[in-house]
Amino acid sequence: MRLLRWAAAAAIWVVGASALMLVAQPASAIPPFARQTGMACEACHTLPPELTPFGRRFKLNGYTLTTRPPLVNDINDNKDNTLWLTDLPGIAVLAQLNYSHYNRAPPDTGNPYPAHAQSDTYQFPDQFSLAYAGAVSDHVGAWMQLTYNGQSGTVGVDNIDIRYSDHTFDNQWVWGITANNYLTFQDVWNGIGSYTIPNFNTVSLYNNGVAGAGTTGPILNALGPGVVGGIGAYVFFNDSLYFEVSEYHSAVAGGASPVVDSVSLAANGGAVDRFAPYARIAYERDWGYQSAEIGASALYVNWIPSVGYISKEQAAAAALAGNSYTPTQTYNPGAIDKYTDLSVDWQYQYNGQHNIFGFMGHITHERQQNSPQLVAATFNGAPGVSEGPIYTNPTDTLTQFLVTGEYFRDRHYGGLVSFTRTTGTYDPLLNGGNGSPANQYETFELDYVPWLNVRFLLQYDVYQVVANNQSPFNLSNSLFPNSPGFPNVRAGNNNTWVLGLWMDY
Amino acid sequence: MKKLTTYSLIAAAVGLACTVVGSAARTAEISLPPDPSQLPARQLASYVCSKCHGPNANGISISPLFPILAGQNPVYISDTLKLLRQRGRADPHARAFMWGVSSKLSDEEIEGLAEYFSKLPAVGGHPSKNPALAAKGKEIYENGVEEPKVVKCAQCHGEVGAGTNNVPRLAGQHPGYLALQLHYYHTKLRENKLMNRNVANITDDQIDAVVEYISTLSGVETP
Repeated sequence: MRLLRWAAAAAIWVVGASALMLVAQPASAIPPFARQTGMACEACHTLPPELTPFGRRFKLNGYTLTTRPPLVNDINDNKDNTLWLTDLPGIAVLAQLNYSHYNRAPPDTGNPYPAHAQSDTYQFPDQFSLAYAGAVSDHVGAWMQLTYNGQSGTVGVDNIDIRYSDHTFDNQWVWGITANNYLTFQDVWNGIGSYTIPNFNTVSLYNNGVAGAGTTGPILNALGPGVVGGIGAYVFFNDSLYFEVSEYHSAVAGGASPVVDSVSLAANGGAVDRFAPYARIAYERDWGYQSAEIGASALYVNWIPSVGYISKEQAAAAALAGNSYTPTQTYNPGAIDKYTDLSVDWQYQYNGQHNIFGFMGHITHERQQNSPQLVAATFNGAPGVSEGPIYTNPTDTLTQFLVTGEYFRDRHYGGLVSFTRTTGTYDPLLNGGNGSPANQYETFELDYVPWLNVRFLLQYDVYQVVANNQSPFNLSNSLFPNSPGFPNVRAGNNNTWVLGLWMDY
Repeated sequence: MKKLTTYSLIAAAVGLACTVVGSAARTAEISLPPDPSQLPARQLASYVCSKCHGPNANGISISPLFPILAGQNPVYISDTLKLLRQRGRADPHARAFMWGVSSKLSDEEIEGLAEYFSKLPAVGGHPSKNPALAAKGKEIYENGVEEPKVVKCAQCHGEVGAGTNNVPRLAGQHPGYLALQLHYYHTKLRENKLMNRNVANITDDQIDAVVEYISTLSGVETP
């Protein structure tokens, strides 16, 4: 039962992250945009998926900028377009392959210690996507992506961003409405969210296939496809000041239940209760070859965790029948955790004739006010509540710091170094072990880009701290609880070499 | 209080959305059609060209990756756009940015854009921060180099860098852009028989010097 609580708690932390990493890793450059605009990738990207100032404006204008005249066009008496179809639908094919080698062979998931798995894996493909990307009408554009995920072995709806945009005559105001299924997918800078650099989808076996072994992160990065759907409005004023407000609602995908209930909660590990408001402000200044941005984001989420629960009626019926009740993961409408995320992000770009420098990152602080009925001190154990406390503290906090530096020469050679550190309050019930959610790791990446839509990369991920890497090690896996039989596991065992191929057409 | 806060944020979001939609209704009469061939030059410049060649269609690009077009000679703009349209200019940036953008432009649109940008207020020069380098560049600009031969720029572009007809104005242009074009001409990545020959022997140091001097030119003849 304790395992179940830990598993549930872990699921709360990583549910979105798991979904995102396994299903919703953002794609990079989209050749249909190039076909639509007649411009090469470098118009919009330093190196995909990082956007140039022009790329940001293209996205904010709803992916509608085109140099292709419509093949089919209809207008009404006011000369408004009522149909606008190009001769070429913006279909993209995207693929990621990777070969990963782990510093230490992970345990055999079906046969714990002393059995080991192989110490490397070949993800072929890691991801394979089909997407529509481009204008739908003169003011509407979309990115809609289906992805086969090599780790899950399933095809699912991936990132979707549908926009309506318009601007004033002289472009001083660009405004729009975005409907998307991935919080931060709509963003145009690369210091935070789904397009944070580094962006290649790496896999760590030590955390059940979730990238970043044992790493926890703020919920701001974790509301993705299959978890939420949102709508927002944005304004970009005078090529510099960006303001957005959005709201996100749970959007259950897959499974038998189309609504948030015990089935979908158990499947997804949790859900957003009602609406989660999100606000974003950013200021960009461009001068010469350079572009700099500083921004801030705020998110508030009422989160329904998936925890064992039985209602008073169920408990009474079980008692009448002389049975003991066994709480199962189910919908507990009274258990709401309240997350408040505040984030500051920044980005600097030097986009020169031959040299590209980038420096970006974010600091995100999260305050998690836990549901009293799930906190140890206030848990009463009576029927009608959860099967047990899953939090030690009434309130937990988490702070994540990420900074990345990159350099590319002629868009052919280059690399990046990234540092991530997460710290937070000690909560043994939530995090297991000594309760620390801390993690710290670096990514070193070398890139070779023979063609702008084909990218080879060699990456090395180095871990100093992963959650629960204290001894005994807890792999956040029910098969290896505080695994005393699998000793001497260190954070460095997660160190991973990744040879990747990323291509789009 | 929590509920109130949440609902307040949602209300604010809806309010902003309504405000934005309201402003949309007011600006509906100037919403732009998608087919660039239907756009007058001012709107075309605003909708397409301004993304690289300067905000608010002012023709003054921010990044030196892209040339300043404000005050450029109309014949040069027109000729260049037509050359790009037929893919007759094949330097890397022409391919990456302008082949597609220019591909659907009509002759009328090209003439309209040339006239529009040529009439925008031009950018002037500024004093050099490296007078020694500028003096060296002045010598090359006005007199060329004897051995190995580099033809003097002023012969065609004029003493003040104003150019004429199909000879581009250089004054006020981004130094980085000019240096890159000289490099392209020198290596024949940008093909132009006259310019390829004129700068066939130019060195990187000479490019730096002449660009430094050009950045001081006003483009205005002084009596």
